[in-house]
Amino acid sequence: MDTAFWETTGLVVALVQQMCVYLVVAYLLSKTPLFIPLTHATIRLPHKLMCYVVFSMFCIMGTYFGLRIEEAIANTRAIGAVLGGILGGPVVGLAVGLTGGLHRYSMGGFTDLACAVSTTAEGLIGGMVHLYLVRNGRIDQLLHPFRVGLVTLFAEIVQMGIILLLARPFGSALHLVENIALPMIVANSVGAAMFIRILLDRRTMIETHSTVFSTKALKIAARSEGILRSGFNRENSMRVARIIYEETGVGAVAITDRDMLMAFIGMGDDHHLPGMPITSRQTQQAIANNQVIYADGNEVAYQCSIKRDCPLGASLVIPLVGEDEKVIGAVKLYEPKTKLFSTINRALGEGIARLLSQQILAGSYEQQKQLLAQSEIKLLHAQVNPHFLFNALNTISAVIRRDPERARHLVQSLSTFFRKNLKRASGVATLGDEIEHVSAYLQIELARFADRLSVDISVPDTLKEVTLPAFSLQPIVENAIKHGTSQLLGQGHISISAATDGADLLLLVEDNAGLFERRPGGDGLGMNLVDRRIKNRYGDQYGVEVTCLRDCFTRIGLRIPMETELACAS
Amino acid sequence: MRVLIVDDEQLARDELRSLLEEAPDVEVVGECSNAIEGIAAINRLTPDVVFLDIQMPRVSGIEMLGMLDPVRMPRIVFVTAFDEYALKAFEAHAFDYLLKPTDPARLERTLQHLRHDQAPQNLAALNPPSRLRQIPCWGRNRITLLKVEEVQYIASTPAGIYVIGPDGQERFTELSLRTLEEKTDFFRCHRQYLVNLDHIKEIALIEGGMAEIITDGDKVIPVSRRYLGPLKERLGAG
Repeated sequence: MDTAFWETTGLVVALVQQMCVYLVVAYLLSKTPLFIPLTHATIRLPHKLMCYVVFSMFCIMGTYFGLRIEEAIANTRAIGAVLGGILGGPVVGLAVGLTGGLHRYSMGGFTDLACAVSTTAEGLIGGMVHLYLVRNGRIDQLLHPFRVGLVTLFAEIVQMGIILLLARPFGSALHLVENIALPMIVANSVGAAMFIRILLDRRTMIETHSTVFSTKALKIAARSEGILRSGFNRENSMRVARIIYEETGVGAVAITDRDMLMAFIGMGDDHHLPGMPITSRQTQQAIANNQVIYADGNEVAYQCSIKRDCPLGASLVIPLVGEDEKVIGAVKLYEPKTKLFSTINRALGEGIARLLSQQILAGSYEQQKQLLAQSEIKLLHAQVNPHFLFNALNTISAVIRRDPERARHLVQSLSTFFRKNLKRASGVATLGDEIEHVSAYLQIELARFADRLSVDISVPDTLKEVTLPAFSLQPIVENAIKHGTSQLLGQGHISISAATDGADLLLLVEDNAGLFERRPGGDGLGMNLVDRRIKNRYGDQYGVEVTCLRDCFTRIGLRIPMETELACAS
Repeated sequence: MRVLIVDDEQLARDELRSLLEEAPDVEVVGECSNAIEGIAAINRLTPDVVFLDIQMPRVSGIEMLGMLDPVRMPRIVFVTAFDEYALKAFEAHAFDYLLKPTDPARLERTLQHLRHDQAPQNLAALNPPSRLRQIPCWGRNRITLLKVEEVQYIASTPAGIYVIGPDGQERFTELSLRTLEEKTDFFRCHRQYLVNLDHIKEIALIEGGMAEIITDGDKVIPVSRRYLGPLKERLGAG
């Protein structure tokens, strides 16, 4: 009895040792891409095939690693069969079991048939568990070490039963089972459970890897959003370089245009100075050929072109591509001689370059849009409505006849109006300035429509310093007269007011005509332009809002943010 | 020369009147501040010449021409501050026109021209709209512009022409029955009536080959014998 106990214990230890070797092989294999499809329960055919191949191999390996005992083999074959079934389903399980079984059969011994049958059965048991869990929508519970251990335990018990049933002579079979049942059940159950553990670890690693990658990418994208849109210059490049440097943790980051270094941050910033011309051969090549260049300092030599003892030992250069696929610069990531480039940062580098290219592109587009709006407004200034001009002159000439003093005032208003038109062809103006401009205009219109028009302006003094795009208010007031009150047979009234609405300035121009119609192109030009300029400058939530009650009133609202610094800066 | 000034700006009218009154043979018989008043004044005062501004509220000078009865059409001198399109037409068809501010010498030339040339103008060359969009009416103390499609029918009475709108109210208009018949799709169903076919609810035949139209506003309009046939034809019931 004592001997039997020690024999059994010895066998358990020996089998566990075998299992360890087996698991080491599994662990090493898990480092290869071969393993990635195995980290999830498989449904698709190529994956199933892969599953079959890998687990058949483990099955056969289990047999080889087994210990010969009384012409039988104590082994860890069951792990391969059961896992093949669990991960690949009944068909794969059956195939793995059959392959492992046939292989075992070829090795002979009095349990050859029994082992072949039982291995096939074990594969099938794994497959049935797979089927059961999938059918019940619990596919996520497949890869559960404890559960898999239990299934293997059950499968091993079944195997012992089959050996007793099929192996002859029965006496030997019984003796064998007495000896190997415990060691094999323990070794296989624990082994299968640990195998699953390895799979799970591997999966977690892959996922962590991609999570780290996505997080970094998203952070860089979020932080650098819009910076280069306002212009590809040294200041903006430096801000972006800093973000990349902080988020990727590489040794250094540089951004260049086609000729010179725009920004550099990190190791070696004592001799890589913004403003220096590009001297690196890799960068020149990347820009010239629109090509990603990777000098890892190993296979491809890297040497800083500026200073021999520069700590940087590897660089990745990615071209920045602008309009018409033209290269407009490059992003460079560096690692010091003491560090290797991580694959994450290599992949990130290319993504970052694409992101920045797009931003620069969007920026130049926006700039062009603004230039266009700017020139349109100049056109508008130059093209003072001739109808207004000649009517104004006609009015003044009539007033001269009866009230020369008043006529002089009107001439003064007219010149104020024109002078302001010419002076403020671009940029921003204060609300006070705009009101003055509009008042000069209104002096003339009030004289023209003396008996038919009244105006009131109510703008609190506190708002007069608020800035807005110059020439925003006058076109709206002009529209209110031209398409509003001047079309009334009776009395016209216009009220101009300013108020705050939260953080916004709300300018209201209301007439009592209510004749607003959206005209395609044509007369609405002035108002469309005002709207577009405000939206370009401040965003789509601002601009012109129209409320019109037919024959009652038309109310034009201008919504502008009250961030005075923003308006002044640009 | 009896002259009417139609311009929506008081000072522009004053200025033109001052200039015109310098001519000994010109009498300014009236001033109007819009086209609708202008039509009434032309009918009432029958001026020889109208100095007509083009840009005016609701009804432009050109549109107003289409509302005047061609039989009683005075000579027109257009006045405008700036209207490229109209100026081209004036030049092309040798119409008299004045630019604001008005040059007295130019005005004198125009008057000279008017004194000698009394031939009717071919105003059609200016393409005044051949169809009316709206009919200016006088209600109680106010001018309304009734959309043509809203009109139920038009009745001619010894007191004048009346337009019956969707509210059933009768409104006086200065436009002649002939103008209204020619420039709308209204159907002449009686010597004194024009009916908007779109507002007919039913036609009741009565003895003697006569009929009555009941409008969708439940107004009853007589149909005379000679118009009943054409009416049926127009309605596709002949």
